[in-house]
Amino acid sequence: MASLSLKGIQKIYPNGYHAVTDFNLEVADKEFIIFVGPSGCGKSTTLRMIAGLEDISEGEFRIDGVLMNDVEPKDRDIAMVFQSYALYPHMTVYDNMAFALKLRNVPKDEIDAKVREAAKILDLEKLLDRKPKALSGGQRQRVAMGRAIVRSPKVFLMDEPLSNLDAKLRVQMRTEISKLHEKLGTTIIYVTHDQTEAMTLGTRIVVMKDGIVQQINTPEHLYNKPCNLFVAGFIGSPQMNFIDAVVNVDGDKVTLTVGDNVLNVPDEEKQVLIDGGYDGKTVVLGIRPENISDDPAFLVENGDHTVSTTIKVREMLGAEVFLYFDVAGTQMTARVAPDSPLKTGDAAKLAFDMEKIHLFDKETEKNLLHPEW
Amino acid sequence: MERNTISYKSKQFLMFAGPALILFCMVIIIPFIYGLYLTFTSWDGVSAEKPLVGFANYVSAFKDAYFWASMGRTIIYSAFAVIFVNAVAFALAYLVTSGIKGQNFFRAGFFIPNLIGGIVLGYVWKFVFNRAFVAIGAAFTDGTVPSLLSSTGGAMFCLILVSVWQYAGYMMLIYVAGFMGVSDSLKEAAMIDGCTPSQAMRNVTIPLMRTSFVTCIFLSITRCFVVYDVNLSLTNGEPFNSSVLAAMHVYNKAFIYKDFGTGQAEALILFVVCAIIGIAQVYIGKKGEVEA
Repeated sequence: MASLSLKGIQKIYPNGYHAVTDFNLEVADKEFIIFVGPSGCGKSTTLRMIAGLEDISEGEFRIDGVLMNDVEPKDRDIAMVFQSYALYPHMTVYDNMAFALKLRNVPKDEIDAKVREAAKILDLEKLLDRKPKALSGGQRQRVAMGRAIVRSPKVFLMDEPLSNLDAKLRVQMRTEISKLHEKLGTTIIYVTHDQTEAMTLGTRIVVMKDGIVQQINTPEHLYNKPCNLFVAGFIGSPQMNFIDAVVNVDGDKVTLTVGDNVLNVPDEEKQVLIDGGYDGKTVVLGIRPENISDDPAFLVENGDHTVSTTIKVREMLGAEVFLYFDVAGTQMTARVAPDSPLKTGDAAKLAFDMEKIHLFDKETEKNLLHPEW
Repeated sequence: MERNTISYKSKQFLMFAGPALILFCMVIIIPFIYGLYLTFTSWDGVSAEKPLVGFANYVSAFKDAYFWASMGRTIIYSAFAVIFVNAVAFALAYLVTSGIKGQNFFRAGFFIPNLIGGIVLGYVWKFVFNRAFVAIGAAFTDGTVPSLLSSTGGAMFCLILVSVWQYAGYMMLIYVAGFMGVSDSLKEAAMIDGCTPSQAMRNVTIPLMRTSFVTCIFLSITRCFVVYDVNLSLTNGEPFNSSVLAAMHVYNKAFIYKDFGTGQAEALILFVVCAIIGIAQVYIGKKGEVEA
């Protein structure tokens, strides 16, 4: 297994378009790194540069300290699982998995042992004689994984491997991949635009936007301490609520005015606003749906952090209920308990858990409370 | 109107398939049946009488040494032409799909010879072989250089060369479609699996272009077996009838030597050969079809 180092990586196309700008990342052995971001953010391009399928315009990419910029893909000792699986349609499952080993002149017995072992791990033993066209989406995906496993490469690269599967199979395969990582102890770099996949699989997540890395950290850190407005909005489902709030500093008391509602800022957060000279200025208040509650006990406890509104839509999801409502013209979402009595059209009083709020600078979009990566 | 009735379905069928069916019968089926009938007559191609002679024309066709000689020449010509047409077409297709500058211009350029009629093509190349090459040869050797078309082997060589020039561009387009049909991710997967470019071509690209190969090879075989126009304008079977191919022999038999019945019987034999090739193409093509 291997460690990876990407320093100042850039991808500039001949027409001058910067697909990736100043990408820096150190990947330790056995890490499961996720590149996540919206379409066109440069995550797949970065992965393809690591694979050697795209040239690196600037910067240095090393595997175990060895510079790889000009090394052919076949000599990088990597394996890749493609979004389309890229199984050779004219070969059987066995031959697909054995192909890379045959090219390396591995003895037949060894190839057979490795293929059968990988097939056992991925439950493909009965499918070895079939051609890809005779397999379901999930089976094809497993063959693509098997093709990567048999080579025992230094690094696994996965480019949105689950995006062609239906929702149920995706959840199932997500667990399989997680188990596989545990079992094989490999370094994996995984590209996805699905933040749920990113949160559940990754040991660290790289959030990208417009070719620029926004934040690199653990899933928990990204969820609890997003460094900017983009990361806060991208990580989490339903996404974090954002609303403009005017800061009022009165001695050591700091409040946020949101429409007709005034919210008291707790001690830990208020110092940042005082020190930053935000008195009278507008900031973006961010709060996750689960930190807004209609629980009567919570409402009593947080009487000075409440908003009055009307429920526009109530969505019952079984284990939880989503309430959609407007505050000062901005739509917000609350995730409440399934026994919540609130219905569509009800007038409601909801309380914000001010200990869990995020405050963002309106101009720079940086998190004022957790500016660090 | 009731939709689930035989009369409704028949009307629908005739409305859509009727015109094509009538045309097909008029230009293919009826002439074919009439031609088949003529093989059993001793018609000279002119007179009103068509006396029936049974299988006599087939007997004389099988005994016609010139016919079988022309058939042998056609097989040799086809073997060489098919190999070179496909080799050149594949190489051109690889070239014009490799991302070189102006590849669309080259695609169009290589296809143009196929747009020129065989008769015109034959006369143009006849001029090239008889005049241009002779003049160039003479300039370099300070003597007289005979035309390639004047020797028996040379005439066949010229026929093959012109056929390659004529058909390679057309076959190239089929190979281009084949190259473009192989997904980039498969080529990339091959690269990551450890293939050199030639190994990727051999192990991934070529097997996935099987349909293109089958189509091109069988199309060029059938075209070569019935070639007439280039044969007529380039060599006219000369010298000493050494370049008379099967189609030209059949034509000559029927229209020059006025032995229509035998000519027609020989044409039918040629048809059977082409039909076997065509059926083989469909069978082999279907058998090895690769679906992604």
